[in-house]
Amino acid sequence: MLAVATLGGVAAYTATDGGPLASVGGTVAVAGVLGLAAAVLVRFAPLVPWAVGFAGAGYMIGREHHRLVDGWAAVVGAALLLAAELAAWSIAHDRRIREERQVVLRQAGALTLLVASAALVGFVLVGAAAVSASAGLALTAAGVAAAVAAVSVVLRLLRG
Amino acid sequence: MTRRASSKLGSYAALSGVGLIGALVLGRPELVALTAPFLLALGVGLALATAPGLQADVEIDGRAVEGDEVTARIRLSAGSAIDRLDVFLRLPDGVSVVEGERATAVRLARGETRELELVLRADRWGAHLLGPLHLRARDALGLLVAEGVAARTPELRVYPQADTLRRMLKPRDTQLFSGSEVARRKGEGIEFADMRPWAPGDALKRVNWRASARRDELWVNESHPERNTDVILFVDAFAEARNAGAGTLDLTVRATAALAAAYISRRDRVGLISFGGILRWLERGMGTVQLYRIVDALLDTQVILSYYWRNVDVIPPRTLPPNALVVALSPLLDARSVDALLDLRARGYDLSVLDVSPVPFTERPAGGTDEVAYDIWLLRRDALRHRLQRAGVAVAEWDGEGPLQAVLEEVTAFRRHARLARA
Repeated sequence: MLAVATLGGVAAYTATDGGPLASVGGTVAVAGVLGLAAAVLVRFAPLVPWAVGFAGAGYMIGREHHRLVDGWAAVVGAALLLAAELAAWSIAHDRRIREERQVVLRQAGALTLLVASAALVGFVLVGAAAVSASAGLALTAAGVAAAVAAVSVVLRLLRG
Repeated sequence: MTRRASSKLGSYAALSGVGLIGALVLGRPELVALTAPFLLALGVGLALATAPGLQADVEIDGRAVEGDEVTARIRLSAGSAIDRLDVFLRLPDGVSVVEGERATAVRLARGETRELELVLRADRWGAHLLGPLHLRARDALGLLVAEGVAARTPELRVYPQADTLRRMLKPRDTQLFSGSEVARRKGEGIEFADMRPWAPGDALKRVNWRASARRDELWVNESHPERNTDVILFVDAFAEARNAGAGTLDLTVRATAALAAAYISRRDRVGLISFGGILRWLERGMGTVQLYRIVDALLDTQVILSYYWRNVDVIPPRTLPPNALVVALSPLLDARSVDALLDLRARGYDLSVLDVSPVPFTERPAGGTDEVAYDIWLLRRDALRHRLQRAGVAVAEWDGEGPLQAVLEEVTAFRRHARLARA
C-alpha cells in the first residue's frame, strides 16, 4: 500500500506540475502506479521495474518544455527508489515465515537510510547541475558514479 | 550454498543504465537525479554483500512413541554477518509442530551461533526423515541471495501406540522351551492334568496320597507342562484403505505391535512376515531385542503398489514353521492376500485372521447405483469372511474403535467352537 501510495505521490506531482505535457506525463505515471499495484497484488516482481520506469518516464514527460532544473527531482528519485524497495519487500514477504523483530527493524532502518542518502545525493546532484550546467551532463554523471563508487568502497572496507 | 543475483539487482542495474544513457542522450539533469538512487542502492548493496559462510545442522532425539513430543534443535553458525536468514524445516506427514516456527527469519552477527528450538509431536508411527532444512541468506538490500540445504536429515523413529493385551490366542501346538502356555501333552509342570497308577521311576512328590489311600495302591498326579509357542504375525501389506490421515495399515501396525509385545512377554517365539508389494520377514525369536526388531521392521512397512502375483511359496520355509500359530492381520482387500491365507490354511497351518476393517475409512455413497455397489461390496466382504470360516480359519473384524482384546476373545471363541464341532 505504501509503495503504491508513494508512486501515486509521484504521479500526482507529475500531473500537477503545470507544464504543457503534465497531463500526458501524469497519465503515464498513473499507468506505472497501476502496474505497481498489480505487481504487488499478484506478487510478480519483474513488473516492478517497469512500473517504476513508467512513473519516471511520466515525470520526465511532464517536465518537457521546462527550462529550469526541477529542485524536487531528488525527492522524486528517492520516492521511486522507496516505491521499488517497498514493493519488492511486500512481494518477498511471506506470512508463513515468522520474522524476528530485529530483522524487520534492521530492514526498515536500512531502507530509511538508503532513501535518505539517495535524496541527499540527488539534491547535491541537482544543485551541481543547476550551478554548473556548462560543465556538461556527462561530467556530472561521471561524478555521481565516482561518488557512489567511493561510498561503496568505504562501506566494503568497513564491513571487512 | 549457491549464491545468485536477485531480480532486484538486474532491474536496478537496468533502470540505472537506461536512466544514465537517457540523461546523456536527452541532456536532462533530472534523469540523473532519478537514476542516482538506484545506482547508489546498487553500489551500497554490493559493497555490503558478503558470502554468508553458514553452517547449519538439525538435531533430534531419534525415538518416540505415537503422541509423544520431541524437541528438534536447529543449530546455525555464521562465518560472516547475515542480515536476513530464512530457515525452513520441511516436516514429513505424521509429524507436526507444537511449539516454535518451522519457517523463521533471523539475523546473525559475524561468528554468532544460534539455536532454534521446535517442539514436535509424533502423530503417526513410522521412520520419519526430518528435513531437508532449507536456508536462504540475503544481504542488507537483498541484491544477492544465497540458498542451500543442510546436508543432514535426522531420522525420527516413531513407535506405534500399542494396546496392552491380557489374554492371547492359544495355539494348537506348543514348542519345547518353557513358557506361559499350558501344553496339551502331559509332563513336568504345575497345571493338574490327570491321575494314573504309580510306575517305577515316578517321583515321590507326585504321589497323590488321598487318591492312593482310597484305592489301596499308589497313584500319581500328572500335569501339563508350561511351554512356549511359535507365533508368526502375518501382515498384509498389499493394499490399505485410507481416509483423512488414518488407514487400515495404521491399525494393522498398532495391532501387530501389541500382539508382538504380548506374546514376547509370555516368552513365546515371535516372527514377522510382511506380505505385500515387497516381501519382508523376520525369523522367530524371543526377548526384548526381538520385540525391538519387530517394531523396527514394522516402521518400514508400507503399501507398495504391485501387480506381481505372489503366493506363499515365496516365503522362506524357516520363517513359517509348521507348528506355529499364524495370526494374519489383513483388510481383506486384495485377492492375492486372501488366496495366500486360504493357501496357508490348506497347508494345515493354525491360522487366525484379524480383519482390519476398511469400512470406517470409506464413505457410504448418497444414493443411486453407487450405494447399491457399496452394499454389494459389504456383502462380498461378509461372504469372504464366511469362506475363510468354512475353511476353518477364525476371523474377527476389527474397526479400530473397540479394544483389540475384545476381537481376540471373538477369535478365541470361534476357535473353541470350531474345535468342538470338529470333535
